Amino acid sequence: MKPGRFEYLRAAGVAEAVRALVEAGGDGKLLAGGQSLVPLLSMRLSRPAVVVDINRIPDLAGIDGTDGTAPSVLRVGAMTRHAALVEQRSHPLLAEAARWIGHAAIRSRGTLGGSLAHADPAAELPAVAVATGAVAHVTGPDGERTVAADGLFDGPLMTALQEYEVLTAVDLPVPSRWGFAELARRHGDFALVLAVVAEVDGRWRIAVGGVAGTPQRLACAEALLNGDGATPAEVAEAAATEVRPGSDVHAPARYRQAITGELVRRALARADAEVMS
Amino acid sequence: MSEPTTSSAGTSVRRKEDARLLTGNGRYVSDLTLPRMRHVAFLRSPLGHARIREVDTSRARAMPGVDAVVTAATPGFAGVALRAQSALPSYVETDQPVLAGEKARFSGEAVAAVVARDRYVAEDALELIDVEYDELPVTVCAWAPPQHPVHPQAPDNVLLERTFTAGDVDAAFDRADVVVERDLTTNRHGGNPIECRAGVARWEAADRRLTFWSGTQVPHIVRTVLAELLDLPESNVRVIAPDVGGGFGVKAVVYPEDLALCLLARQLPGVAVKWVEDRAEHLLAATHARDHRYRLRAGFTADGRLLALDADVTCNVGAYSVYPWTAGIEPLMAGGLLTGPYRLDDYRATVRGVATNTAPSGPYRGVARPASVFAMETIMDTAARRLGISTVDIRDRNLIRPEDVPYRMPSKLVDDSGQYGQCLARALELFGLDEFRAEQQRRRVARQPPIGMGVACYNELTGLGRAASAGPRMPFRTGHDACTVRVNPDGRVVVFSGVTSQGQGLETTVAQIVADGLGVGYDDVEVRFGDTTESLWGFGAFSSRQAVIGGGAANLAATAVKDKVLELAAGLLEAEPSDLALHDGEVSVAGQREPRLSLAEIARVAYLETHRLPDGIDPGLDATRFYDPIRGAFAAGAQVATVEIDRSTGQLRILAWVCVEDAGNVIHPKIVEGQIAGAIAQGIGGALYEHLVYDDAGNLSTGTLLDYLMPTSAEVPDLVIDHICEPAANPLGVRGVGEGGTLAPNAVLAGAVADALGIEIDDLPVTPAAVWKGLT
Amino acid sequence: MKVGMTVNGVGEQVDVEPRRTLADALREDLALTGTHLGCEHGVCGACTVLVDGQPVRACLMFAVQAEGASVVTVEGLAGVDGTLHPLQRAFSEHHGLQCGFCTSGMLMSALHLLRTEPNPGRERVREELAGNLCRCTGYAGIIDAVVAAAAELGTTLREP
Ligand SMILES: Cc1cc2nc3c(=O)[nH]c(=O)nc-3n(C[C@H](O)[C@H](O)[C@H](O)COP(=O)(O)OP(=O)(O)OC[C@H]3O[C@@H](n4cnc5c(N)ncnc54)[C@H](O)[C@@H]3O)c2cc1C
Ligand code: FES
Ligand code: FES
Repeated sequence: MKPGRFEYLRAAGVAEAVRALVEAGGDGKLLAGGQSLVPLLSMRLSRPAVVVDINRIPDLAGIDGTDGTAPSVLRVGAMTRHAALVEQRSHPLLAEAARWIGHAAIRSRGTLGGSLAHADPAAELPAVAVATGAVAHVTGPDGERTVAADGLFDGPLMTALQEYEVLTAVDLPVPSRWGFAELARRHGDFALVLAVVAEVDGRWRIAVGGVAGTPQRLACAEALLNGDGATPAEVAEAAATEVRPGSDVHAPARYRQAITGELVRRALARADAEVMS
Repeated sequence: MSEPTTSSAGTSVRRKEDARLLTGNGRYVSDLTLPRMRHVAFLRSPLGHARIREVDTSRARAMPGVDAVVTAATPGFAGVALRAQSALPSYVETDQPVLAGEKARFSGEAVAAVVARDRYVAEDALELIDVEYDELPVTVCAWAPPQHPVHPQAPDNVLLERTFTAGDVDAAFDRADVVVERDLTTNRHGGNPIECRAGVARWEAADRRLTFWSGTQVPHIVRTVLAELLDLPESNVRVIAPDVGGGFGVKAVVYPEDLALCLLARQLPGVAVKWVEDRAEHLLAATHARDHRYRLRAGFTADGRLLALDADVTCNVGAYSVYPWTAGIEPLMAGGLLTGPYRLDDYRATVRGVATNTAPSGPYRGVARPASVFAMETIMDTAARRLGISTVDIRDRNLIRPEDVPYRMPSKLVDDSGQYGQCLARALELFGLDEFRAEQQRRRVARQPPIGMGVACYNELTGLGRAASAGPRMPFRTGHDACTVRVNPDGRVVVFSGVTSQGQGLETTVAQIVADGLGVGYDDVEVRFGDTTESLWGFGAFSSRQAVIGGGAANLAATAVKDKVLELAAGLLEAEPSDLALHDGEVSVAGQREPRLSLAEIARVAYLETHRLPDGIDPGLDATRFYDPIRGAFAAGAQVATVEIDRSTGQLRILAWVCVEDAGNVIHPKIVEGQIAGAIAQGIGGALYEHLVYDDAGNLSTGTLLDYLMPTSAEVPDLVIDHICEPAANPLGVRGVGEGGTLAPNAVLAGAVADALGIEIDDLPVTPAAVWKGLT
Repeated sequence: MKVGMTVNGVGEQVDVEPRRTLADALREDLALTGTHLGCEHGVCGACTVLVDGQPVRACLMFAVQAEGASVVTVEGLAGVDGTLHPLQRAFSEHHGLQCGFCTSGMLMSALHLLRTEPNPGRERVREELAGNLCRCTGYAGIIDAVVAAAAELGTTLREP
């Protein structure tokens, strides 16, 4: 299980990384924490000709809005490690979600940008991004643009990022109330199903992971939640009927569907959603 | 640390292996670097069943850094195969080729091998090998109609079938008050030691010598088969198993890759060829186990006495009959030990091993019994529920008792233990049965998450002597081991033992046995094993045989040396040997406090100052002894556990776990408990998490550790482990403990879920999804 | 590519292909075979080392990425005179190892845990070591060892 040959470039800046990707002509890969990419390289499921290491680009890592004031939106550099997300205090939902990722030695390397760009449908951070209405900052050959999290994920391991684009930072709104719940086979595993509820700008959003090719917003359940008088049980039931998960070796579709409801219920309980009393 | 110097048995002395293993100085095969070393990678079939039309290696061969590319057609490889033999009448002998030639029979079977400068380049070259396959229909389930025979010799894919019978089952069913039936399946999983397989082979052409460093549990067996297949005298083949990072049975098999490495070495004289299996290869191609179906019918009296058992057992043996254990290893063990620790006269079990297009099944810690114990204990639980008696009482009524021993099981194995009731009683005492029932009731009333209790009793057949190891009717019996104990001229002791160690701490245990048997300090004994040139003979590590057989041989050899030491000392001191004692390396005369001679002085006489040797005593101080217990020692065991279930997700949490085993005399308590704890953890893994799943096309769906889930420290609970000590009839009074722990968790956990929720678990593993399904 | 790094306090240079993992560079180029490989895809933890103080899967990092970094492997735990680190001693005393193959990674993960959380309870140790698979011990001895080492190290820290 050894990677195939590649050329290695340690980018000094985002522009250089973009240029390297362009020069590789579609055969380049960005290397962030490597916690998803390196296994793929080692299994030779990914065969880039050029690997562009963005670990040493100054300013790609770091969290803004941690100056003591309570920010409404946290800007997090793409190369910020999961461990740093756990440590920060400004975005408790982000910290809680990051705590569920793998193990210490994974969190010390894995990055927010890598997790979003990798787009595993059962990963924690993409679901948080969707649930909070995050916005990704992206730099490509044609300059910078932003992509809303709702439009970022196209399918399993597929995103709206273009071939030569680098995700540089993510703006993560800090929810006034939130809940996170996850069920995994073992401690530290990718989720079977996870649910995030977040109240942002006075409206509740719900995203679940592990039930579709991307983190899924639950429109009906959200509508119930934002409306009047629905009980958590009703919201949870709506959530379960709204998802159409698939089956795999870890759980059949029906099970995933059923526990989606349960996890949404738990997330709501954590969110202490008194609006629904 | 103050260490006991004599009589170290029964104390947890510092393990001899720890200093090097803790500091990164272990000597694993994967660590070995030799001059002119080259690295091997195998190309593996991506298809479950396919004819191989053509293998084109020309591009790979031309790649810089590549030394050789071989296929089944390469001279020297063509026609070489492993052929596991058994004299059982129904057994269909088949070959396992070194490299798949005419067809590939499972996904992951090696088709070609590359030797290159390093493993990276070797894997590069694999990508340049072109293979043309014609797909064939695939069979992955052993109880589904076969699609296309795996081996032409067995058109129905049945490689072996045997019926065990005792008494008159039909008549016994007529007498039964109730008859219960269950149809159960167990999940395919495997050993997965953290160090995968590894081997380094080197051929010295000038003196026609082959050296094979291998992470094997069975170096002498490997030597014998290598010598035979490579047509070499055994003395020209040296197999060395240094530190090995776990085995669990997976490494007790001789594999095609082992043979391939040695054949490659022969083609590249003087070059050391190294292969370190990666985890993907391990999951694909190292032996799997426990893919069984049990159809059981059992008759009981109204008060819960087991009268009759009729079983039909199918074991998926995979694509090949593993060497040397054959496709019979699991089915025969299942049939022979299904009735476990229960008294039963009337028994019928038909067991069969069915070939499929999956990785071969082989020995994995507990061999078949984690599955068969699950089946038997499930029948007990089912009958208890039907009869309205407790799961504890029904066991109590049927267990083999001390007064029944020696008990001839329906499969004719002789159980010498009888301590089952004692183990169960002690386990329940530690568990706190009454408190559990009260808490269970309290939760029911309070509508809190339900808890359930599972219980399992089992007999572990350990240290099988020649009579007990006769079952599979292989062309050899594995009942014995040799041990050489040598006192060097400086009075220090070296032991060459036939055992091997993959973490069981045998270096320590054997040293303790020899230190005690001889009368020297533990620190003065060095133990060497795993090298066929050093130790005379040993079958190695499997079937919990090491303490009983290897330990027995070590004790006999140590005692023999001690006899000679005392005889020699008697001559020097002009005393009677019977008046002398050897303790802590000093000879003293009965009744006198001051020692008279040190072992070092005596050794000096034996080797150097032979002019002082008393008449009639030869120079030298060593002895080699074989030991064969003829039968074996049964180790009784019982485990009890509580689980809590989350009704809304089916998730299960283990709240308490108690295990009581009869290990006989315990030599090193921490090692014994470590064996039991490790075995239980593996059992829990098999019961709840580990599952090797093939899709219908024959692809392994669980090919990485992201999908093949082994339990972590967060899943394995704290365990309460206790012993009862009923010494066995062997030189040390020991019973094996290597496997017993694995036997119960399937049964315990399935039983606990059934107890908590009143549902029946028919299929393993017990996943949250399965529990949830049972609830809805 | 030439890569310079500090390994266990000693400056080292290796010349490697970019694709060579840090684990392979340590094991094969620097002959530090105490760092083991059990899966090469990040799950088993056998290859865990500290890079600039952080626990890292050496199988998921390329050697070229360690340029200028300080790497600590199991070989760096014991004193130069061979005195075992308290964690190593505790592993031996509490039977925290059997085959020893997972041990290096366990020790490095445990070391990081005790540095960041000097007094973790048994449950925290269980949680934090869940990233390192052991197939032999059933974990009991390992957890005992880490808890015991925490107590010992805690006492030494408190001593003036
Ligand atoms: C044992 C193990 C357990 C894990 N458990 C979990 C878990 O429970 N939950 C979870 O969410 N994850 C888990 N992970 C994955 C981990 O979170 C990864 O860190 C993450 O998925 C990818 O982040 P990375 O920084 O490592 O990215 P890399 O692996 O370096 O890259 C991943 C992909 O993203 C691309 N990429 C990276 N950065 C950027 C960027 N800035 N712009 C554009 N493209 C980019 C890369 O080119 C690559 O295609 C686990 C990993 C392991 C090995
Ligand atoms: S070898 Fe690196 S985590 Fe398994
Ligand atoms: S001691 Fe063998 S894997 Fe942990």
